[in-house]
Amino acid sequence: MNKKFDTVAGIAFLLIGILFLVESQKISDSAYGSTVGPKIFPMGLGIILSALSIRLLYETFKIKTEGTVKESLQYKKFIIIFVSAIAYAFLLEKIGYVVSTFLFLLIAFQTVERGKIIYSIIISTIFSVGVYIMFSELLGGSLPGFPLF
Amino acid sequence: MDTLHFLADGFAVAFQWHNILFALVGVIIGTAVGVLPGIGPMSGVALLIPVTATMTSGMPTGAAAASSIILLAGVYYGAMYGGSTTSILLNTPGESSSVVTTLDGYQMAQQGRAGAALAISAIGSFVAGIISLIGLILLAEPLSNVAIKFGPAEYFSLMLLGLAAVSGLAGKSMTKALMMTVFGLMLGTIGIDAVSGIARFTYDQPILFSGLEFLTIAVGLFALGEVVKTILEKDEETGSIAKINRILPTKQDMKDSTVPIVRGSLLGFFIGVLPGAGATLASFFSYTTEKKFSKNPEMFGKGHIAGVAGPESANNAASGGAMIPLLTLGIPGSGTTAILMGALIMYNIQPGPLLFDEHPEVAWGLIASMLIGNLMLLVLNMPLVRVFAKVIETPKKYLLPMIIAISFFGVYAVQYTTFDLYLLLGCGLLGYLLSKNDYPVAPLVLALVLGPMIENNMRRALTISNGDFSIFVTKPLSLIFIVAATAWLLVPLLLKLKGRKIVINEEG
Repeated sequence: MNKKFDTVAGIAFLLIGILFLVESQKISDSAYGSTVGPKIFPMGLGIILSALSIRLLYETFKIKTEGTVKESLQYKKFIIIFVSAIAYAFLLEKIGYVVSTFLFLLIAFQTVERGKIIYSIIISTIFSVGVYIMFSELLGGSLPGFPLF
Repeated sequence: MDTLHFLADGFAVAFQWHNILFALVGVIIGTAVGVLPGIGPMSGVALLIPVTATMTSGMPTGAAAASSIILLAGVYYGAMYGGSTTSILLNTPGESSSVVTTLDGYQMAQQGRAGAALAISAIGSFVAGIISLIGLILLAEPLSNVAIKFGPAEYFSLMLLGLAAVSGLAGKSMTKALMMTVFGLMLGTIGIDAVSGIARFTYDQPILFSGLEFLTIAVGLFALGEVVKTILEKDEETGSIAKINRILPTKQDMKDSTVPIVRGSLLGFFIGVLPGAGATLASFFSYTTEKKFSKNPEMFGKGHIAGVAGPESANNAASGGAMIPLLTLGIPGSGTTAILMGALIMYNIQPGPLLFDEHPEVAWGLIASMLIGNLMLLVLNMPLVRVFAKVIETPKKYLLPMIIAISFFGVYAVQYTTFDLYLLLGCGLLGYLLSKNDYPVAPLVLALVLGPMIENNMRRALTISNGDFSIFVTKPLSLIFIVAATAWLLVPLLLKLKGRKIVINEEG
């Protein structure tokens, strides 16, 4: 149990609950033919989530801080892969599926474990080209294939 | 004799060559998903939805939905078979419902009886699959006939019961589980309101008008969440894999496991039908039951075959049982069935009582193909167990990035927007953070699927009653559901107050 996370999450969800409550008031009321408009449900949810968040904060507050075991997480690898994934999403439509997928896989393979670069290149190529051919050529789907220069 | 007639039609669908292929691909991928530690049935099914969606893109809706659900359900029950392999060979369960299998399965492997343990779990899973399918066939018609008489008030209360059941058992803290449920319901309200046509929480962003895509959220929370976890958390070196010598179980093994298999199947089936109580609970209960009934309970934990046969049958029977509320009532009782339901809704097919009338080819085709799929699994698992054992050795190095790439491809091929890719990554991060801190994500996905239906039924019921909320408690059936939902949430709380330890369902 991570007290710090629970506190942050409790506050965050409380804010989301209040936001829902406030924002649902702006939804125009009453649709023709029904007594119950589109705002009742989100409004109710906002109230319930706020109440639950307060309860979570109360529960978290009650728990005595316990010695949390510090874990060694592999942040470096994770950040590299996550940033490359964001770049992958950003570049997908710009440089096409095949190239972006190839680059992403190559970087990610090498990040998880360095070495055997030939295998990494072969597998990345087979995956990106294979998926593209299967999907676009055989199944008739549309993917941004290659960069349009 | 209507049922037999429908079942025959179902077989006609299931025996179409492409559907046989879909079932085969489903069960093979499912077994692999079960074997690979880190990918559970939930992420496996979520990951494959977009892939099947593109594979079936040329077909008419009904046929496409039938084929997809055949494949996806194959992944689901295939994973239940595969999960035992790593439990027995590596002492590492492939998915959470195989946790108890490690107790005796690994011991058997240590004694050189890995083959027998694997075989008995395959046989047990097969028997369980067949028993739960018979139950499904017998119960499907009568249950959907009852459900068809439900009005909006009854539906609303029934769905509340479904949500309460899943939240009540999931995770360590009920507050957190309920928060996730409500949060999922909230996410479901984003977009244009189906009844009034008014945009809610869209802030004039056209991308939000159709709402957040269920698929993106599910794949992100489950599949990517797992990937994030595996990258971040260095896992300990996996131990050596036990050797498989002889595959066929001895006569004595068969004798020792027959009764546990039957008992586990029946128990698992009924636990599976209950919403919220999934395969993990079923296998756990089966283990304790076998220990209680056994003449020599001290044998358990030391490589007793009944300790493998019972739980393995139970978890498969539970996955069959879980299909009943999904197909007949339209209420998924677990995370994986919620994802299956989301897949059907993507095809504009509403699971529930009308499913059997409006889309018999989907409902009965699925049932028939599950019979075929279980047979395939038995045939595949006995001789191929050595091959599947090799899958365990797939290097994480290649596996993890490829899961990311597959989920990217899948989401993009269905949505065609990069917005969904960013959302996917966000959900992956969120899924990891939430489940790491005991915020169960299965209720969130379930709520996201059920949300719009709950709201519509609530509003329809309130329109009938002119805004009077008492309609939900004056209708007897609706009242029963609401009382049951309240009890589901309160009873564990009361037990906790009394200091009783309660079993938690982690599979979702």
